[in-house]
Amino acid sequence: MNSMNNVTTIKELVTKKITVLKEEVIDQYQVSFEVKKDDVHHLLSVLKQAGWRQLSYLSAVDWIEDNEFELVYIVFNWEKPVHIQIRCRIDRNAPTMDTILPIYPGAKYYEREAHEFFGIAFPGNDSHEKQLILENWDDIPPLRKDFDPKAYSDARFPKREYSNDHVEMNGQKESKQAKREERRTHILDLIKGGKK
Amino acid sequence: MKSTKFSELTQEQIDRKWWEIGDFFRRNSLWMLMYCTGCCAIELPPAMTSAYDMERLGMGPMATPRQADVLLVTGYLSLKTLRRLIYTYEQMSEPKYIVGFGSCTINGGIYHDSHAVINQLDRYIPVDVYVAGCMPNTESVMNGFVDLMTLIKNKQANGWIKYKENNDWYKQNQKEALGEVKIKDEFHE
Repeated sequence: MNSMNNVTTIKELVTKKITVLKEEVIDQYQVSFEVKKDDVHHLLSVLKQAGWRQLSYLSAVDWIEDNEFELVYIVFNWEKPVHIQIRCRIDRNAPTMDTILPIYPGAKYYEREAHEFFGIAFPGNDSHEKQLILENWDDIPPLRKDFDPKAYSDARFPKREYSNDHVEMNGQKESKQAKREERRTHILDLIKGGKK
Repeated sequence: MKSTKFSELTQEQIDRKWWEIGDFFRRNSLWMLMYCTGCCAIELPPAMTSAYDMERLGMGPMATPRQADVLLVTGYLSLKTLRRLIYTYEQMSEPKYIVGFGSCTINGGIYHDSHAVINQLDRYIPVDVYVAGCMPNTESVMNGFVDLMTLIKNKQANGWIKYKENNDWYKQNQKEALGEVKIKDEFHE
């Protein structure tokens, strides 16, 4: 079976069981399905039965204009070379998503990470509120689009102050562009592909 | 009979002489503790192996902070690594020196606006030598080590004394940036 066949079988498998809002074939090794929030668990268990038995990644995308988070689950098959992305949109104001721990136990740390960086709660995963990477974080989750890292850094970490600016601006000096150009054409003249 | 050649030395002068002798041996056998936080650490393999061969300066790697003389901070420091770095630095036995690599330790470098990365390393722990560059090439790394040796010779590598004298200032800065220096994670519970 070649790999484009793989993609069509996956499509059949998924659309038979679940209503797909949007599908995208990224290339012959990657397919993406956007489904409703309630269908994610069903779809993931179907895919796990079909051989996609490893959760390779779980993260979120912040669509601040739509006031929504998009969760992306990427599952991986050791026999067929196709990664499947399962996407679902959840509300941004009170983001919760039931855990997928019963299906993929490896999601434990991904869910903790998503909670730490986006503030998404995963009821069912007992440890999702424990800190993972950031320590003693005291602001809104830092990968949300309305978090301003520069303002946070300016307030928190003092900057080094320089008395003199040693950068010479272009206007203060005559431009070397013409000379550079001349040198370049000279070099290009010299290169003649080995011919004399 | 008293020698006419040598005058009597005070205890302070004798101590000073001993320190000079100690410094001679120290600067010619610096043992490094490499805290490879960032990308500048990639400059250490060529500096250590046969291309530049750091061993000819008497420098070698050391496994534990208790036995090391120089702490190499190679690159940016997130708050999480800074906590561990302060722990490590305070465990080292005196005299101890720090070499900061790259522009990240000087002024934050390309991470100057990150929420996770500190900007000036010398507000939190004293730095004796900076090697500038993003990243510095291996020649400048070697040059930085030679500079450190010269500083030790001239008794200017006194960051560890500054850390002792201005400990309150350093501790306050650490507290401002980190909230709490104590490490609390699931491996330390």
